[in-house]
Amino acid sequence: MSRNPIIRLDRVSKDYTEGAETRRVLHEASASFAEGEVVAIQGRSGSGKSTLLNLVAGIDSPTTGEVWVAGTCINRLSPADRTLFRRDHLGFVFQFFNLIPTLRVLENVQLPAELRGRSPGEAAERARTLLGEVGLAGRESSFPDRLSGGEQQRVAIARALVQDPRILLADEPTGNLDDITGEGVMDLLERLTRGAGRTLVLVTHSLQVASRADRVHTIEDGRVVPLPGPRGRTELTQVPP
Amino acid sequence: MTRSLLLTGLRDLVRRPLHSGLMVLGVALGVAVVVAIDLANTSALRGFARSTEAITGRATHQVVGGPSGLAQDVLRRIRIEGGLRASAPVVEGYVTALDLDRQPLRVLGLDVLSEGPFRAHLGGRSLADPGFERLFVDEAAVFVGAALADRYGLSLGRPLRVRVQDRVETLTVRGIIRSADAREAASLDGLLFMDVGRAQRLLKMGDRITRVDLVASDDEAERIAALLPAGVRLVSAREQAETVAQLTEAFQLNLTALSLLALVVGMFLIYNTVMFSVVQRRAVLGTLRLLGVTGEQVFALVLLETATASALGVLLGVGLGWVLGQEAVRLVTRTINDLYYVLSVTGAPLTAASVGKGVALGLGAGVLAAVAPALEAARVEPVEALRPSRLESRARRVVPGVALGGALLAVAGGILMMLAGRSLALSFAGLFAIVLGLALVAPLATVASMAVAGPIGGRLVGTLGRLAARTVTRSVSRTGVAIAALAVAVSVTIGVGLMIESFRSTVENWLDLSLRADVFISAPSPGGTRRTPVVSPDIPQRVVAVPGVEDVETFRRVRVASPLGEVQLAVADPRRPRSAAFYRFAEGEPDEVWERVRAGAVLVSEPFAFRHRLPEAGGTVQLQTDRGLRSFPVAGVFYDYATESGLVLLSSNVYERFWDDRAISSLGVYVAPGHAIEEVVADLRAALAGTALQVTPNRALRAGALEVFDRTFAVTQALRLLAVIVAFIGVWSALMALQVERTRELATLEVLGLGPRQMWGLTLLETGLMGTVAGLLALPLGWLLAVILVTVINVRSFGWTMRLEADPWLFVQALAVSVVAAALASVYPLIRLRRRSLAAALRSE
Repeated sequence: MSRNPIIRLDRVSKDYTEGAETRRVLHEASASFAEGEVVAIQGRSGSGKSTLLNLVAGIDSPTTGEVWVAGTCINRLSPADRTLFRRDHLGFVFQFFNLIPTLRVLENVQLPAELRGRSPGEAAERARTLLGEVGLAGRESSFPDRLSGGEQQRVAIARALVQDPRILLADEPTGNLDDITGEGVMDLLERLTRGAGRTLVLVTHSLQVASRADRVHTIEDGRVVPLPGPRGRTELTQVPP
Repeated sequence: MTRSLLLTGLRDLVRRPLHSGLMVLGVALGVAVVVAIDLANTSALRGFARSTEAITGRATHQVVGGPSGLAQDVLRRIRIEGGLRASAPVVEGYVTALDLDRQPLRVLGLDVLSEGPFRAHLGGRSLADPGFERLFVDEAAVFVGAALADRYGLSLGRPLRVRVQDRVETLTVRGIIRSADAREAASLDGLLFMDVGRAQRLLKMGDRITRVDLVASDDEAERIAALLPAGVRLVSAREQAETVAQLTEAFQLNLTALSLLALVVGMFLIYNTVMFSVVQRRAVLGTLRLLGVTGEQVFALVLLETATASALGVLLGVGLGWVLGQEAVRLVTRTINDLYYVLSVTGAPLTAASVGKGVALGLGAGVLAAVAPALEAARVEPVEALRPSRLESRARRVVPGVALGGALLAVAGGILMMLAGRSLALSFAGLFAIVLGLALVAPLATVASMAVAGPIGGRLVGTLGRLAARTVTRSVSRTGVAIAALAVAVSVTIGVGLMIESFRSTVENWLDLSLRADVFISAPSPGGTRRTPVVSPDIPQRVVAVPGVEDVETFRRVRVASPLGEVQLAVADPRRPRSAAFYRFAEGEPDEVWERVRAGAVLVSEPFAFRHRLPEAGGTVQLQTDRGLRSFPVAGVFYDYATESGLVLLSSNVYERFWDDRAISSLGVYVAPGHAIEEVVADLRAALAGTALQVTPNRALRAGALEVFDRTFAVTQALRLLAVIVAFIGVWSALMALQVERTRELATLEVLGLGPRQMWGLTLLETGLMGTVAGLLALPLGWLLAVILVTVINVRSFGWTMRLEADPWLFVQALAVSVVAAALASVYPLIRLRRRSLAAALRSE
């Protein structure tokens, strides 16, 4: 952990209110993830894994505490500024891929680059390169519903990387895929993040997926707890889904 | 259907207040417009029936004469020679109550002694009845109904200034007639009761009376008819009243048709909302099917939900309709007063019949609009619950078929219209079929337009441009219908707008042609075109004596009987022939035609020729003259937009040959060259000081006529606006539905970096595209609607032909309305989108 932390959660709490009841999902949780690190977050269903990822992505705001990403306290930003921040620094991979069904594969990938201000031609060029890297050259004109789950997730990875973000966040990236396809997707994710020195934070139930991480954290009673292991890598414990 | 299944549906309505609310609103707005117009129409008709009741009372027949009324000798003949005691003389005329909002009042001069068998509220009592002797207290004594008295705080002894023909007189309220019966009390509104002799003097009728009312059996009637001199007729009282009431039939049917159009637009809204609800609940419906619920039960469930929401909408719509009805009745009554007859209606009470119509149409429209979505719901298979895109892919597949069906429906509508002959109801049915048919083509047009717009958008704004177009196509089952609703509403705006513009421009041209004199002098009419006040006989000499007056023309407007019913005669000065543009059909040169008119032929107005199916040449018109029934050859048909019932024009030398009436209705003054019209007008006013005559320069009369024209179309304009409002809500609900449906997609885009401005841009692009397609579709549809309204509906309603004028600005406006309405509709859904939690949106299904 000699590298500088690129993500830091400082005594973050998150409450959800449902009617008269308030449920605390995170309770003064603190954690920091270094640049270039691959971190896996595990925990029971409803423990707050996705909430943690959403806070880091600026998709959600903490009730108390601070979330620092790339030197910016993102919970102090306005929703509009958080969107712009995300556009510039983060890539996101969803469990259900979340591809835009009305856009072709190439368009899905080039869209975030265009949103950032690149010309459509430039964005398409970059998207083509990435689709080649994820093994989908030749499928640029297909609509997402013509692709298999694994292919759709590869498109989603290409899309997340098109802006060349420093941080990649992945919420159950293999949760909707079979083991073999999931392995393939993880190989790809690891190659594209480690190779480029990016930080990858992924939420997963899978032990195999988590075993690829540099460090594994679990969430217990609303707190982020690191799981110790040799060489800083994880000594895995079975976490029930 | 089980209780649990029923609860599923009803709870869903409660759990989606916004969508249930939109469904309720769709029905409510449609029902409100229909109920409002129905209330206005029925109140006007009821008002007319009541005033007829007050005037004719229990009379079975009336003995009527020509424009100058009847000699009193006729009454003597009926009573003595005919032996009929149940006969009462009546003098009738109109005055304007100067201090009571200048409203027209009908003077009813009655002989209280003869009234026994006729008017219960007056003559049912005898002279000995305390109070009625007050009718004879002084020359100016009048009785008024309690409703009028209460409305204006009239008390006994209160002076009442009225303009009667070209004079101002002061009457005195000597009695207020109260009736415990609400119906009877309402029938007295707008009436002034006087003694018959005093009414004769007030209306300058000499010793003549307007008519004699009779209560007679058929045999007695036949006996009386045989006794009557030439020019005097016996008519059935009921038929007489019905003929007048029929005058407004076409006007009221036109309003009803327009109000139904609002309901049709409301149906699009209901369809969209129900369809959205079905799409949203596919998983639930799939699960229900898995649990053993049959397709029929699902179908019934969706219809039941819609019927429940529609019932709420009907309740709200009837209430709103009652509120709108109060304003609508004011507008409708004003138009009837302007164009048809004097009518006093003070409110539009809710009637069981109007409520019944609202309930039937609202529930019917709601359920009908839900049939397609309910069928869609019934077709949901358990496995489909996991494949939400199936509906839209099916919708896209049926789009060409729907368009073909729509095109066939439109063609069928066109054929129906051609075969409808003169039936206005069938013509409107044809028009509705054409509008609905072309609306069904809208989804195909949407898909086709988006196929073009996508690549263009992509080139202009990149992937977001393509995304916007494809989003519209993807949800074509909803967007297509929203576009259709907006297109129909905007086309109504264009069609009705063009019709009104064309009509106005035609009327303007016609006014130029028919108002030839420089200045017009007339006694102000108390309302309606049925009664024209007369000008005192010494007036023409006084006018000619004014410096600058070169020539004076006299006009006479009267109503005479004919086998075709009551006919309005326009008696013109024969010295000035009409120009060629005046005639629609005429054989020979205008001068020759005019020569024939001077020799005894008549000219008939276009609506008259249409109404009575007169041939273009060689026709004749029979008129009841003071010399008996006479036949007049028709020399030509002329354009006239002043009366819908039609007009027969004849030369004054011919009129004087056949009728004894020598009264003048108005004068046209030609100003000598070198004299300023304004100065002559001022001199004329000075010369006529002391009379109630109006001296109106040509330009002001023209402006006044156009003002009446604009007032006539006030209701039409209001309905036009309402249709756009309903369509706007339709687009808004469709967009809301789309945004809700795309919650996760939009959230994903936001996670990918779609900034707030870009979100606005994307949504506005989508709605702008929808608005543009609707607007572009509305342009030809609106033009077609205008052509049909101008060349078919107007001709079949009123017999008027007019030149269709296409103001390009109206098309530009309509397109702008369409795009702006669609863009505005996206504002709230966007604001709502900004308020939702991004994390929750990403989790949504």
